[in-house]
Amino acid sequence: MTGPVLQIDGLTLDYAVPGGRLHALRNVSLSIKKGEVLGIAGESGCGKSTLAAAMIGLTGANARRVAGTIQIDGQDMEALTEDDRRRLRGRKIAMVFQDPMTAFNPVLTIGAQLTDFQHNIDGVSRAEKRARAEAMLSRVGLADPGLIMGRYPHELSGGMRQRAAIAAALLLQPEVLIADEPTTALDVTMEAQIIHLFRELRDDYDGAMVIVTHHLGVIAELCDRVAIMYAGEVVEEGPVDAIYHRARHPYTRALMACDPAMIVARTARLPTIGGALPDLRAPPPGCAFAPRCPLVTGRCRTDAPPDVQLTPGHRALCHEVRP
Amino acid sequence: MSALLSIRDLSVDFALGSWLDIGARRQLNILTGISLDLAPGETLAIVGESGSGKTTLARAILGLQRTSGGTIRFEGAPLAAPSDFARVRRRTAMMFQDAVSSLSPRMAVGEAVTEPFAIHREPLTDRRQTARDLLAEVGLRPETASRFPHELSGGQARRVGVARALALRPALVIADEPTAGLDVSVQAEILNLMAELKDRLSLSYLIITHNLALVRHVADRIAVLYLGRLVETGPSETIFARPAHPYTKSLIAAEPIPDPRRRRADLAIKGEIPSILRRPSGCVFHTRCPIAQNRCRTEAPALRRGDPTHEFRCHFADI
Repeated sequence: MTGPVLQIDGLTLDYAVPGGRLHALRNVSLSIKKGEVLGIAGESGCGKSTLAAAMIGLTGANARRVAGTIQIDGQDMEALTEDDRRRLRGRKIAMVFQDPMTAFNPVLTIGAQLTDFQHNIDGVSRAEKRARAEAMLSRVGLADPGLIMGRYPHELSGGMRQRAAIAAALLLQPEVLIADEPTTALDVTMEAQIIHLFRELRDDYDGAMVIVTHHLGVIAELCDRVAIMYAGEVVEEGPVDAIYHRARHPYTRALMACDPAMIVARTARLPTIGGALPDLRAPPPGCAFAPRCPLVTGRCRTDAPPDVQLTPGHRALCHEVRP
Repeated sequence: MSALLSIRDLSVDFALGSWLDIGARRQLNILTGISLDLAPGETLAIVGESGSGKTTLARAILGLQRTSGGTIRFEGAPLAAPSDFARVRRRTAMMFQDAVSSLSPRMAVGEAVTEPFAIHREPLTDRRQTARDLLAEVGLRPETASRFPHELSGGQARRVGVARALALRPALVIADEPTAGLDVSVQAEILNLMAELKDRLSLSYLIITHNLALVRHVADRIAVLYLGRLVETGPSETIFARPAHPYTKSLIAAEPIPDPRRRRADLAIKGEIPSILRRPSGCVFHTRCPIAQNRCRTEAPALRRGDPTHEFRCHFADI
């Protein structure tokens, strides 16, 4: 095993919003090794999509990196010019979005786009690029890839479009593949098939994968490790088994408890978390989860929580946990 | 027990092609042979993939979609003439899938939740107070009345949708994907709210969803639709414990399990729901069915019963 392919250290990122700056990511550190699948979970507004966008250098114009670094293969994306960054995208890092309809150009065929995506590869003829595109479509489980090459995005079903988007992302064999809510727009039977496809791909693709989703079931099915985010911070990170069976952070425990899929027996009243997310324009000085936390003590409201190493590879950001 | 809503052998067809092809227009069958009952105070969930006809069924019940056969009775009286549907719409309410876009962007919340009174020409003495009462009922603060939809979070917009649905004290609430797009903790809050209001106001719910994890907790009975055909109906305990139809089985098996120790090795169901333009002959599910045999390709299965409350259409299901 070599070093991490993606290393994020102390990443802090703000958005300029009316009324100040929104602290979307606060001191986020994560690393992903080759061949590993990392899940990033959390509720709306926790910063998981901002983190995914930051990894590929696609945060909006109103975003500002306040501190921290993101390194892909030892190279800091931020230090590069936009042209160089663009050259790295696809080859080093690629992304699959929630809605593949918006990822494709509606007026070009799938085949034309998959061929164009390879424009950075030198010394390969257009015919070869088309052949590679077709082979990749077949690899992601699309029957009749030759026919799909000539189709426009709107002619494909949601599931087929998502497969085509995955094929596009894998075309240049990136070292890191990021998928942001890759199954959210799909029916449950198609979701199961896309999860299955990701699992097959991880066997013969040796890069790392990052799966960003609010769906805890998808992460349990697919990932090796998971990072749980709350209010712009990674509050707990560890192997999936530890997080799903021995979660330590009170937020992780509350989140797991209120997922109806976690509750097998019929319940008339489902558990909830209560309270609301803090205003990220002025994050609280102490722990962001303190106002909603069942274990809260005085210092939680005033002091930032420590990053506690529980077991090797399992950490939580909480005053009240002990190794 | 007299049913609140009783549907017998309902069918819905869409006309294909342009209205200019007078006389030559083809009919595309969307729903066929739908029979369902909903008792007062009951929650019935209609489950199926996109394109299974769930929303068309809800629209037909509200008279928003012309039916081409069968009967719908609401509170004992048949629905046929447009005036009958006016009565149903006064006694039912719809919660739409996209809560934010179902509210007018230019109407303040207080006005939106009291609009049903104006639509149905119901007397309203104090509009402000009624708005505040309705908002309090769904757990929103009185000042929400002056907010506009874009200022609301997903959960708040959903609550406004519930308040508006309850304004005229309906007997039946039709909820189309009531928790789609919500986070799990907010989803649980909305479901708890709906359950509490159901008890307090003795409502019946018709919930249209593809989220089985939700259905398990809220539905008394489940009806599974596939390509416009009801393939299985029964009490939710029975459907989850002993599903009979292979489609129901695969839907339950397809739901991702939030436990890494129970990862599934193989796929329960492959392929996609076929286009309704090319509905398979015989049993509509035979193209994706793991237990299909020759008979399934030619002969549509008749209704079978597991017990008096559990019905399904499959030639080969064991029960």
